[in-house]
Amino acid sequence: MLTLALESSAKAASAAVFEDERMLAFAIQNAGLTHSRTLLPMAEGLMRQLDRPLSALDRVAVSRGPGSFTGLRIGLAEAKGLCWALDIPAVGVSTLEAMAWGGPVLDGQMLCCCMDARRDQVYNALFTVEGGKPVRLTPDRAISVPELENELVARQEPWILLGDGAELCYNAMDRSLVTLFTAPEPLRVQNARGVGLAAMGKDAVPAGELLPVYLRLSQAERERLARMEKESIT
Amino acid sequence: MLILSFESSCDETAVAVVEDGRRVLADEIFSQVALHEIYGGVVPEIAARSHLEVISLLADRALEKAGVTRRDIDAVACTYAPGLIGAVLVGVNFAKSAALALGVPLIPVHHVRGHIAANYLAYPELEPPFVCLAISGGNTMLVDVRGYTDMSILGQTRDDAAGECFDKSARVLGLGYPGGKPIDDLSKRGDDRAYDLPRPTVNGGSPYDMSFSGLKTAVVNLAHHAEQTGEPLDKPGLAASLCRAVSEMLVGRTMDAAARLGYENIAVAGGVAANSRIRADFEAACQKAGKTLFVPPLRLCGDNAAMIGAQGYYEYLAGHTAGSDLNAYATMEL
Repeated sequence: MLTLALESSAKAASAAVFEDERMLAFAIQNAGLTHSRTLLPMAEGLMRQLDRPLSALDRVAVSRGPGSFTGLRIGLAEAKGLCWALDIPAVGVSTLEAMAWGGPVLDGQMLCCCMDARRDQVYNALFTVEGGKPVRLTPDRAISVPELENELVARQEPWILLGDGAELCYNAMDRSLVTLFTAPEPLRVQNARGVGLAAMGKDAVPAGELLPVYLRLSQAERERLARMEKESIT
Repeated sequence: MLILSFESSCDETAVAVVEDGRRVLADEIFSQVALHEIYGGVVPEIAARSHLEVISLLADRALEKAGVTRRDIDAVACTYAPGLIGAVLVGVNFAKSAALALGVPLIPVHHVRGHIAANYLAYPELEPPFVCLAISGGNTMLVDVRGYTDMSILGQTRDDAAGECFDKSARVLGLGYPGGKPIDDLSKRGDDRAYDLPRPTVNGGSPYDMSFSGLKTAVVNLAHHAEQTGEPLDKPGLAASLCRAVSEMLVGRTMDAAARLGYENIAVAGGVAANSRIRADFEAACQKAGKTLFVPPLRLCGDNAAMIGAQGYYEYLAGHTAGSDLNAYATMEL
């Protein structure tokens, strides 16, 4: 089964091609260029170098969030466009799960995946590793750093921090209460390899039905709800 | 040649199938108006989210309506600029991936060029050269259409678009969003001389340049003044006076341009072309000047993908295609 994996939820964009569980090719762009210019050419280039037509693809795996709203939509729109034209299904993968799969998956490790969500929050999920695979301990959520710190402390384990929020958490948390490590740079942030690996055990769905998981309302919706709440109190 | 076309620059998701730039086989539109209504205007993030949710389904429906399959598609066209960047990105990235996977050319289309091309769908006999006034919520420009892909801006608004002037005026009159139609409806019951509204002119630049912010402010001030003093506001009269002012600013310049260029044909395009006062004034002016007027039917005036497919055909003939690195842009020269 030939899978194209796409990742564009944060600063870097990457693409990978998998034959079943084996990664055949991988490309990444981390120069701050817009994903709209770089992601599809990477996918196109990988397939050309592999001497495989796009029509050989069986499915497309893609980060469905959380992450940069615009970044997610670029990846998802490309996945949907490819799947629509090729009439193949797609697999949506949690960005945080992809991050865990791309991290240091040594048995027994505790992985804390966190992306800087601004507004004093991180997008986060916790994983442990069993049999070389991440096992989910929490759902994906937007959580404040102190709240997350309490959870990590309560579990009484040393944690490896991943993601572009790793440093933020490392610096903000009280390391006399919880043992923290930041993952080494090459293993720290999500990429298309992690997306492809995380997609392995998952069922594909019709790509048209694939929806991003933003974990956050738009600013206009948030402000409107806050206004309504305020009005209902007064 | 069958072109599959996409439009997602604002709050309409649209997919169409157009043959040879002139014949519409399918023209699917999902309007998000209901999603934005409660905010009194288009919320870019909500628009972008909605585009992504419906675009695959609309593409399916377009093929079904056209009675064709993916294999029948010869090229893919999409609006790549100008527009709300998050919204345009969805259409561009879906379209270019589909073109790549189908193995067909990708044609980027300027949104305003698309509006102008809506006239080719409505009028098989229309060919350049002609003068086109493109008026919508986001754009107001007078264009010299020398050829299908050879055009230049004769003049444009320095600030607000004509449609924006209607939207903001409608808001202060409590008419809701979008404002064009309610203002138009209300104006039909009013005296167009009830209020003496300004027709701002601009200094320097092109004689065809326009400004609508002063007119908008005048309406807003009248409404606020009435509210503060408790004086009655003649809303139908104000709506009629506004329509007359906007129309006079647009029609005069367009007729002057056509006369100076010696063009026989005058076209109007964009959502504001639906305004009945502007239509009527253009009809009268063209009849008087012996010019032929082209105004697309209402459905083709608003944002749609058929117009993108129409212009896409001529862009393709001119060799204007793009690769998989095509980006979307919030602003772009015509």
